[in-house]
Amino acid sequence: MKPKKKILQTTRRISQFIFLFIFLFLFRKTDYTGTDELEYAVNIIFRIDPLVSSAVILAEKTFIYFLLPSIITILLTVVFGRFFCNWICPLGTLLDGSRLFFKASDSHEYKSLKKVKYVLLITILATAVMSVPLVGYFDPFSILVRGMTLSIDPALKTTVSKPFDAIYLNAPEWISNYSEPVYGILRATVLPYRRSITTLGLTSFLILFVIFALEKLQRRFWCRNICPLGAMLAVVSKVSLLRGHSQGACSSCGLCRKICRMGAIDDGNRISPEACTLCMDCAAVCPMGKIRFAFSRPKEVHAPEGISRRAFIGTALTGLLVPTVFSNRAVKHFPNPYLIRPPGSLPEQAFLDRCVRCGECMKVCIGNALHPSFLDSGIEGMFSPKLIPRIGYCEFSCTLCGQVCPTGAIRVLSVEEKKKTVIGKAYFDENRCLPYARSLPCIVCEEHCPTPDKAIKFREIAVINEVGESVIIKQPYVVHELCIGCGICETKCPIPGFSAIRVTSEDESRHQDNVQRVDSDETSGPYS
Amino acid sequence: MRTGFVRFAEIKANMVITNRGATLSRNRLRELIQVNLDNMKGHYMDRREFISKTLKHAAGLAVCTSLGNLGLASSKTPEQPQSILSTATGNNYPSLVSRVLEPLGGIQQFIKQGYKVVIKPNIGWNRSPEMAANTHPLIVAELVKLAIDAGAAKVSVFDRTCNEERQCYHRSGIKPAVEALNLSNVSCDYIDDRKFISVPIPTGKSIQEWDIYKEAVEADCYINVPVAKHHGLTRLSLGLKNIMGILGGNRGRIHHDIGQRLADLHTAFKPSLTIIDATRLLMRNGPQGGSLDDVKVKDTLIASVDIVAADAYATTLFDLMPTDVYATVAAHAAGLGEMNLEKVKIVNA
Repeated sequence: MKPKKKILQTTRRISQFIFLFIFLFLFRKTDYTGTDELEYAVNIIFRIDPLVSSAVILAEKTFIYFLLPSIITILLTVVFGRFFCNWICPLGTLLDGSRLFFKASDSHEYKSLKKVKYVLLITILATAVMSVPLVGYFDPFSILVRGMTLSIDPALKTTVSKPFDAIYLNAPEWISNYSEPVYGILRATVLPYRRSITTLGLTSFLILFVIFALEKLQRRFWCRNICPLGAMLAVVSKVSLLRGHSQGACSSCGLCRKICRMGAIDDGNRISPEACTLCMDCAAVCPMGKIRFAFSRPKEVHAPEGISRRAFIGTALTGLLVPTVFSNRAVKHFPNPYLIRPPGSLPEQAFLDRCVRCGECMKVCIGNALHPSFLDSGIEGMFSPKLIPRIGYCEFSCTLCGQVCPTGAIRVLSVEEKKKTVIGKAYFDENRCLPYARSLPCIVCEEHCPTPDKAIKFREIAVINEVGESVIIKQPYVVHELCIGCGICETKCPIPGFSAIRVTSEDESRHQDNVQRVDSDETSGPYS
Repeated sequence: MRTGFVRFAEIKANMVITNRGATLSRNRLRELIQVNLDNMKGHYMDRREFISKTLKHAAGLAVCTSLGNLGLASSKTPEQPQSILSTATGNNYPSLVSRVLEPLGGIQQFIKQGYKVVIKPNIGWNRSPEMAANTHPLIVAELVKLAIDAGAAKVSVFDRTCNEERQCYHRSGIKPAVEALNLSNVSCDYIDDRKFISVPIPTGKSIQEWDIYKEAVEADCYINVPVAKHHGLTRLSLGLKNIMGILGGNRGRIHHDIGQRLADLHTAFKPSLTIIDATRLLMRNGPQGGSLDDVKVKDTLIASVDIVAADAYATTLFDLMPTDVYATVAAHAAGLGEMNLEKVKIVNA
């Protein structure tokens, strides 16, 4: 009887390993590979995530077909209970794996904290209805993918590259003849292609770090007490079919209670369906083989987990009402003009509603142009992507960010559509631009401007230069109608500090009300 | 139209700006060119010679200071023979390559057994071949094949791109074309930021030092394969301009005095051979174009050891005079080659 149960535990471990591997593989594959279309990306994991789906659908109040796979997760949970957390979830696997490096606490304290996850779940869903999207801050995959994109992956690249670079640059050639091929293999397999520049990397890392550090308080502290996806699956598990049974009299050794990573077993050896993640440890460890899992309900049931009706209504109402305070903030009515969204982004509110802050667009952005915003669009917009053209620009023929966006916050564009999508407009700072400010020739912006009919053109003008001579200089200007705001001019502008040409979100395609009216045919000008 | 261009060239010569930001009058410029030409006498070397001498001196002194000066001070004056320029026309691009090289003695004139060869096309832009922003992949692939057949030990194809390098390498068709040859010892790798070395430009008037890609500097044979196209500042982007793709650092700074700086760079780094891809000319909206309306199919290749002659000849395909491109004028003034096409032996292969 005993070996059979060990098999279940081993199977679970293999499953965890396989799904973690798939996750890491997809994460690495979320990059340009020589074709315009990505074969696959890590966005799949968000599409099987019912928390993301429900929050996004509640916020948008429309059905989004590509979030359909999350129903499968719900159905499987109805059958198998909260197995997802311990058989599939890569964050759960990593938390378990972290025990190899530091010892987690075996404590089963903090039982009252279990409610926190339900409060979070209700808050997230209620505020989503009111278009204050919070799901991205608490969804485990958002935290994980974002943390990996913004901190772990760049750190990995730097850490591995540094020694190889040092060897290459300083050591005798015969040594680098050995080290370089090794480095080449690493670059082709585990390392990201590029050493990305990131913003909010430390913040994203700290969030991940705290989740791992909480293991010191209690095993799977995050999963037990905070994870709102876990809460959602726990709610479904109340009616799940596969249940843990502790049958008959046992020696009450308490081993199962002690090793349970979720604290799901009470003093009477009853197993909570909401907390149990079907890791099968208890079945494997029970010296008398008294624990089994079956498609039936045990006679004695564990006290239900959850919050009171009063707390539920209170939380839901708070979630619905608090956002009304948010709506009069200036940031919503006078958006930061330097907040440039990726091409294909939905209008701002719909964009924020859908964006789950996973950072995949930033991961895949071939120009290293997309970065998490901080408070540019309010506190609920944190980690949503924005283009920082001084760091990187939007590649003219690239449509990758739309392809990886799991929720359609960034639409999938064809290359031809992309080339016509306006994300902003460039303007010159004539106080800094060399041909204007210093009468020096420079055409770097014009040279790089990608539109076939260049949006940056010249006027040849005779000016008196800094040493008093009359010279003819080509002074660049932006042809407003042609500019798509890709930002390559700002990236490539050779002067240090602020670029002499900058991009604002003015006239972006997604916002009809953000259009400059000077050349409009409509009679309703600013003074009419 | 013509007079307009001439006037412009004169104005350009009137307003040369030195690296210190001062502007030079025409007479002062003439003086400087003369002084520079005098200084240059006896300093002609090809790149291999330059490198080997530089290295010898460096080894002798075991100190890396003032490498360039020492290397240059000891060279001899070879006679400057008449430049030969070869052109070939036809729509079978691969066959054009060997045809255009015949009058110059064929590829084996440049590549000997065991050579490390660099083929430097223009892969600067995220554009497909027909847009004429990059060198045609068929020409690059054919050159790689010829180089291997001639006994090259290693052939590297690279360019420091302006757009994202992976998209440039793929959309230009160059990386797929080179990899389709499936030859060992051939690489079409992205630029590795660690591999730039500082190269002194002792005779540079506008710049005295710049980082250049190590593989290019160390190559036994460096074949410069630009595409002929329009450019907003230099008017045309040809052989001399193609050196931008092996430069490190902030290349934007080159643009402040671009014609002179391109010439300066070539006093320290000379391609063994320049083959200008004029199979398609980008007539407007260069250097990256993006519309077929701006492309003129010319089905021509131009080859010469003399980069200035090659550029001068290519300029005429755009109905411009060699003097219209200041880089050519500056390079000629620096003694890098012949821009007067009457003095060049032009062979139609």
